[in-house]
Amino acid sequence: MIYETSSLAIAVFAAFVGAVLALSFWLGSRAKSAGGYFAAHGQVGWFVNGIAFAGDYLSAASFLGICGMIAFFGYDGFLYSIGYLAGWIVALFVIAEPVKRLGKYTLADALNARFQSRGLKLVAAIATLVISLFYLIPQMVGAGALVKPLLGLPHWAGVAMVGVVVTVIVATAGMVSTTWVQFIKGTLLVIVCTIVVGLILNRGFKVPTIAIPSSAVATLSVKPDGTLVNGLPLSTTNQLDSQLRAEYGTGFGSVAALPEGAQASGPLGPISYLTTFAGSTVTTWKKASDGAGTTSFTPVERKGSDLLLPGANPTFKGVRDDRWVAKLDFLSLMLALFLGTASLPHILIRYYTVKDAASARKSTVVGIGAIGAFYVLTLYLGIGAMTSGALDPTDSNMSAPLLAKTFGDALFAVISAVAFTTVLGTVSGLILAGAGAVAHDLLKDVFQMKLDDRGQVRAAKIASFVLGLGAVMLGILFERLNVTFLVGWAFNVAASANLPALVMLLFWKRTTKEGIIAAMSVGLVSSLAWILGSADTLEKVFGYPAAEAAASAIVPFSQPAILTVPLGFLTLVIVSLLTTNSSQRDERAARV
Amino acid sequence: MSDTPRANRFGLVLFAVYCVSYATFVLVAAFGTFENGVAKGGLARTVEGLPFGVSAGVSWGILGGFGLIIGAFLLALVYAVFARDGGGDA
Repeated sequence: MIYETSSLAIAVFAAFVGAVLALSFWLGSRAKSAGGYFAAHGQVGWFVNGIAFAGDYLSAASFLGICGMIAFFGYDGFLYSIGYLAGWIVALFVIAEPVKRLGKYTLADALNARFQSRGLKLVAAIATLVISLFYLIPQMVGAGALVKPLLGLPHWAGVAMVGVVVTVIVATAGMVSTTWVQFIKGTLLVIVCTIVVGLILNRGFKVPTIAIPSSAVATLSVKPDGTLVNGLPLSTTNQLDSQLRAEYGTGFGSVAALPEGAQASGPLGPISYLTTFAGSTVTTWKKASDGAGTTSFTPVERKGSDLLLPGANPTFKGVRDDRWVAKLDFLSLMLALFLGTASLPHILIRYYTVKDAASARKSTVVGIGAIGAFYVLTLYLGIGAMTSGALDPTDSNMSAPLLAKTFGDALFAVISAVAFTTVLGTVSGLILAGAGAVAHDLLKDVFQMKLDDRGQVRAAKIASFVLGLGAVMLGILFERLNVTFLVGWAFNVAASANLPALVMLLFWKRTTKEGIIAAMSVGLVSSLAWILGSADTLEKVFGYPAAEAAASAIVPFSQPAILTVPLGFLTLVIVSLLTTNSSQRDERAARV
Repeated sequence: MSDTPRANRFGLVLFAVYCVSYATFVLVAAFGTFENGVAKGGLARTVEGLPFGVSAGVSWGILGGFGLIIGAFLLALVYAVFARDGGGDA
């Protein structure tokens, strides 16, 4: 049985969300000023901030998306874990401390600290808004995916629920409540996932009693709303995997053969789990669609050792191609993940919540510890899901919660509630970053509205309502996309728009405001345009068949960072050199 | 420009160390692992000859991935312990 609502699950879920909201209201009474609203008065302790980093960063993409991608394609999902974590090294060693010293509330503050330019603030605020919205889509999609099986509600209801809860969190107490929501979520996520991995290792692998032949095809008719299975309404007795379970005693995703013909491995250690998997054969399901609403899934046996190598996912398939052009997508994405983290506005604003650069550094170390621990666990969670016999082949995002369900309803309820809190924590951070960009950067500095402290907070609260509404609409629109895939794009845009400006501002004395404005504009527009014109967008967003999407794509590969990041640097250098004199005049004038 | 704080030099050295490791891993994955679509080496190779038998039978793909994650944390710890406070304009 894949989906079935349970009252226990609903009770645990309601308790989690209720507790988080109550905390938010309580803390809300303590943050009235702009300094409190945007930066929690700079008084958050470094350890709490470090765990809150984990809560901010480990989004639905990490938890639901990576686990799902590993469960469906193996090692490719783990590549995201590696890249996401590596990005923190850029944040820690290059960006964090200077940005902490330069800024006050927003990324635009830091970039503009030397120049006092309205144009620069405008571009930086727009970049923050675009990146945060891009990043918001997968979070909202993840929320919808979670609520569907847990509460039996449609996708849009889940998206709307997150929208309402998060807007309440952000509107009540801004950074103070957001920090604590992220702290609680970060702690819970790491602890609960450690428990699940312990259970996975203890269970080991088991071969089903009846082997699934490669002729077994599960044909599925999906109506546009996705609710009908095999022409009959989805119910507790008519699930996608009902027939499979009746015939073979297992659902989707199982081990076909263990090393040396064993039937069960028994409990395994962290290393032996991986080596046993590498020596096994796994039944995966290949998806095919006839374009008329019928999707079929055919079993394909694959070696575990092959699933522990890159290139099984369509995004990474170029790795196995001998032509170097085909490898560019992979190289570009790994570059984007590496450079993107330190360019994400919602991560950077967390540095303004601690009191000094030393605290910023210490909290990053704590963050890397918690985030790294989680990413190590993702490989086990993904492989556990891949062999759990409980996959939903139509929705990779549900792999982790469904894996938890194989250990009982209680764990499913807890995992789903934690995942929902995961979405809340990240979405709060994103909306806060966006609201800061609107109220503090755009209204106060760019449009020079006369806003006092309270006025800024009020404007930010209104902005967070609007952003929340926008996020809900986008979340409903992009229902069917793997959430990690979408976040990969957000990293591309963030790295292209923000990184050249941040790095050159810190390391090149001749950087001018015109150079930064040009580099950010070029990075933002070129990466967005590249993504829009790519085969992946045509296929996954506009629904073109794969072959047609590849033929119609304007650009040769889908991940732009490998070109658009250097383009940003180049633009910055050229424009800065061309404008050095006028900029120096401005600075002299400003000093006089 | 003296008024722009700089990341400190010790951090940049550690950053360079990590960059080289990450780039090596990505390049081996892209160019050293497959030939004609078949795994021939690189990340597919089994790790051998490491002390304490910790590597028993795992591939370089797994060891490299875990190594980059755990290595990042170790470098961060080293930095936190040895970086001077205020450590800016070094």
